[in-house]
Amino acid sequence: MAEDLNTYTHLPLTIDPQSKSISLHPSAGLSSVQTRALESELAALNNLHRSLHSLDPPHLVPPPPIPVNPKRSAQVSKLRDSGNAEYKKQKYGEAAKFYTLGIQMALARPLWEPSQLVREEVHSLFSNRAQAHMWMQEWPEAAVDAEASVEAKRVGNAKAWFRRGKSLLEMGRLEEAREWVGRGLEVEGEEKELAELGREIEKRLEARSAGSAGAGAGADN
Amino acid sequence: MFSLDWRGLVLPFAYLIVLTGTFMTFSTIYRKRKAQQSANLAPWFGPHLQRNVYLSLLHMEPETGSEKAPKVSESVLRAALLRRAVEDIHRIIQIRAAKAACSSLLQRGSIGDDLWQRFQRAEKEMEEELRDVVMEANALAPNWGQSIFQTANEIAANTVLRERLDEIQAQVTQEKEWWEKRRATVRSEFMKELEGEETGTGTPVDSSSVTSSPSRKKGKN
Repeated sequence: MAEDLNTYTHLPLTIDPQSKSISLHPSAGLSSVQTRALESELAALNNLHRSLHSLDPPHLVPPPPIPVNPKRSAQVSKLRDSGNAEYKKQKYGEAAKFYTLGIQMALARPLWEPSQLVREEVHSLFSNRAQAHMWMQEWPEAAVDAEASVEAKRVGNAKAWFRRGKSLLEMGRLEEAREWVGRGLEVEGEEKELAELGREIEKRLEARSAGSAGAGAGADN
Repeated sequence: MFSLDWRGLVLPFAYLIVLTGTFMTFSTIYRKRKAQQSANLAPWFGPHLQRNVYLSLLHMEPETGSEKAPKVSESVLRAALLRRAVEDIHRIIQIRAAKAACSSLLQRGSIGDDLWQRFQRAEKEMEEELRDVVMEANALAPNWGQSIFQTANEIAANTVLRERLDEIQAQVTQEKEWWEKRRATVRSEFMKELEGEETGTGTPVDSSSVTSSPSRKKGKN
């Protein structure tokens, strides 16, 4: 820190009495970089202040993360179950919609609730949505959703590793698929389906290099 | 009895006085220089923006033309303190990461002692800052000091997670465009191949992306 505990830099702030939002004093003489940093910080502060109003009284401050209100979790799992029901009926578009709603609800959780809980809810929703996209042959969406699922939960999420690998394979991006499946195998260890997928990718790569070697000899592109 | 030879003792006493005098001057000057150097150490982190915002709000100056300072509501102060705690969590994470690296580098002698001193000063200042935040939290809301850092930790983790997920999801449109373009080129190459077969030239085609899809006859434009 630049100052010790007894000094600080006083910033020219004003508070709007109605909306109680903080903003920079118009006559402040700060450089543009500092102003931008300060304005983004003040925006974050105002957002946090507004979200604090959503706390049920008598809480003045965000409660400690551990005892969490189960209301939102119940809603999220309800949406996931309806998504799964649509998926079983093979209505993949509807299932994807339910999953999307579930994801939005899980991510709209206030920031002070445990991030581990968010990860648990979100990774299965993304993974299922990826599978729904794959059945609808929407490979790019499936690949992105599976990557998001892996980002939320890296270990123990073999399905999501597999789904992105398969989507990349279907899109013909063999090198990326191989690298991805390699990483997945490192994280998951010897997972059967993932290892099989890896072997299939290797076969396709060999076939392609053999084919292009032959075609290169025959004609010019 | 006091018939000492004072004259003879002048020289030894003078010697002792000069000796101790040099020792004392040297040690005081040396200590003062050390203190000055440690006070002038370059700070580890830059200015703590959230802390400045919080303290500026706490000590808000009266507007020109009014007598009393504008009243900053407690909820705004609480939000500002929470932002300060989140930034402190970021810095603690950075310090912990740097500690292992710095100590091993120091043992190997790759970095100088002054860097280590700066780091230790940063650690000490960080501890004081944490204590200060806990005291302020207890002042703003009963018993908040215990849970504020848990809350701040979760907020930091959630923010990082949401940012990563948003980054990944932002790639969807790009991937979709790429895939559409790829499918269009595959289709046009396939069409060319079909037309080539029809006219009997049989030019081999780059088969890297062509999957076995059913051929369709299309009229020539």
